[in-house]
Amino acid sequence: MPGGAIRRWRDEVGSTYVLGHVRVALGLLLFWDSWRAARELEQGYFGDVFHWPIIPEALVASRATYANLVLARLLLAALVVAGRGARPALLLSAAAGGYVLLCDRLQFHHNRWALLCYALLLSLSPCDRSISVGSTGAPPGAGVGPLWAARLAQLQVSIVYLASGGSKLLDPDWRSGVVLLERTRLQAASTVAQGIPQGVVEWFSRPDVSSGLAKLAIATELGLAVGLWLPGTRVFALWWGVCFHLTIEASSRVEGFTWLTLAIYALFATPDVRARKFFYDAGRLRGRLAGRAVSWLDWLARFEVKPWAPDDLRRGRSIVIVRRDGTHATGVRALAMIARCVPLLFVLWAPLALLAGVTERGARSSG
Amino acid sequence: MIDLRPRARVVVAACWLAGQATLVLTAYGRPDRIFGFQMFPEASTVEIRLSRETGRGDFPAPRGEWSARDASGQLRHFAWRDRVRDPLLGSLDARIFASYGVDAQLARLQRALDDVIGHVPEDGETVRLRAAVRVWKNGRSPETVTLTSRARGSI
Repeated sequence: MPGGAIRRWRDEVGSTYVLGHVRVALGLLLFWDSWRAARELEQGYFGDVFHWPIIPEALVASRATYANLVLARLLLAALVVAGRGARPALLLSAAAGGYVLLCDRLQFHHNRWALLCYALLLSLSPCDRSISVGSTGAPPGAGVGPLWAARLAQLQVSIVYLASGGSKLLDPDWRSGVVLLERTRLQAASTVAQGIPQGVVEWFSRPDVSSGLAKLAIATELGLAVGLWLPGTRVFALWWGVCFHLTIEASSRVEGFTWLTLAIYALFATPDVRARKFFYDAGRLRGRLAGRAVSWLDWLARFEVKPWAPDDLRRGRSIVIVRRDGTHATGVRALAMIARCVPLLFVLWAPLALLAGVTERGARSSG
Repeated sequence: MIDLRPRARVVVAACWLAGQATLVLTAYGRPDRIFGFQMFPEASTVEIRLSRETGRGDFPAPRGEWSARDASGQLRHFAWRDRVRDPLLGSLDARIFASYGVDAQLARLQRALDDVIGHVPEDGETVRLRAAVRVWKNGRSPETVTLTSRARGSI
């Protein structure tokens, strides 16, 4: 029932812990964007040379106003990162950035517009309840709040994918692979200069390969728009999306779009904390190291990390993970679970999960 | 401060989604597809050659530079890049990648031509600026598009 779904979305509450991390990431990206603007201002004020305002010229920021605006955006971004007055700072950052784009559409880039959209949406969420300078040090999970705005930010991810993938689908040159083929050819010399083997570049420059990759890219974008929302496909969609964006990052200049999207991906994590348990053998160096590493890298607070006293099940294991449903994971399956939950290792999740599946089948077939 | 009541959440979300849908669906009506999230739309290249129309005929402006006399007869030097700092539009006489597609760059170039002709009051000779643009759309054979600024003083 649409009415019921809307009510559930509107009234949903959950842990706000991850929102704090996303806020910090957006704050850093806002700071970086403002820093770029400040560096460009050093080269000259955009209003002194050719620019293309969307608003009437009379409303375009003067040199002094623009300089103050850039400075204000730097300070606002710092507040966002620090978590002090973070929500108004996010809102004002989005408004200031939007105004600059209206002053000069030559400064428009999709990644900058997306950053402003996410900043505005995040300002409507309780993203200031965790990871704040001077906070009381409340444990993760203490903050619970409404998630409607975070869900709207997730929906914005799908809008971006739908718009991008849809426009490519409607373009015959994109569908046939011509755009991708020509991009590859144009970048071939610089790609080889970066150390990519000539043979690899030539393989990607084949029309049949470009055609296949173009269809894969379109399917990826459209698939992610939907797959990120379905419980059965969400983790794989996130993994595929991470690989997709890292590939783009390695092959194209997209400013901060990769890191922005990956930061927003965190909103797709189930809004709870410490729902899984990570037990390690404190009597083994390997267990202690694993416990320490997971404690450091578990930014989304997926695990409750504890040492154990080995029992019959755990004897001989350095680590054991207890999943949400109470089942245990050891060996490769535990590694796959760690990769699934630790952002820096997430790119390893699918290979490890595949390996875990293979080894489990092997163990079964061998009795 | 920004905590909305449940009914307001629905209104804000509806407005947001309607706004985004409008911006995305109307992007085709804007030459640079601004706000449309159309990533990597083309793999086209362009080469811009600038010339100027005067009362004595047309003259090329290699690298976007030219000399002309002002109203008092004094010879002055002008440069396209003094006014156009955009890295793409500022790169004349060289084949360059057309970010955001050919339409976007042609629209920007037309604006730039109009802007520059309106900011060289000391040039007493040039009536219009003209850009001959060779366009390789997605690697196809080149076509030439000619853009002309408005006449000087016709703002």
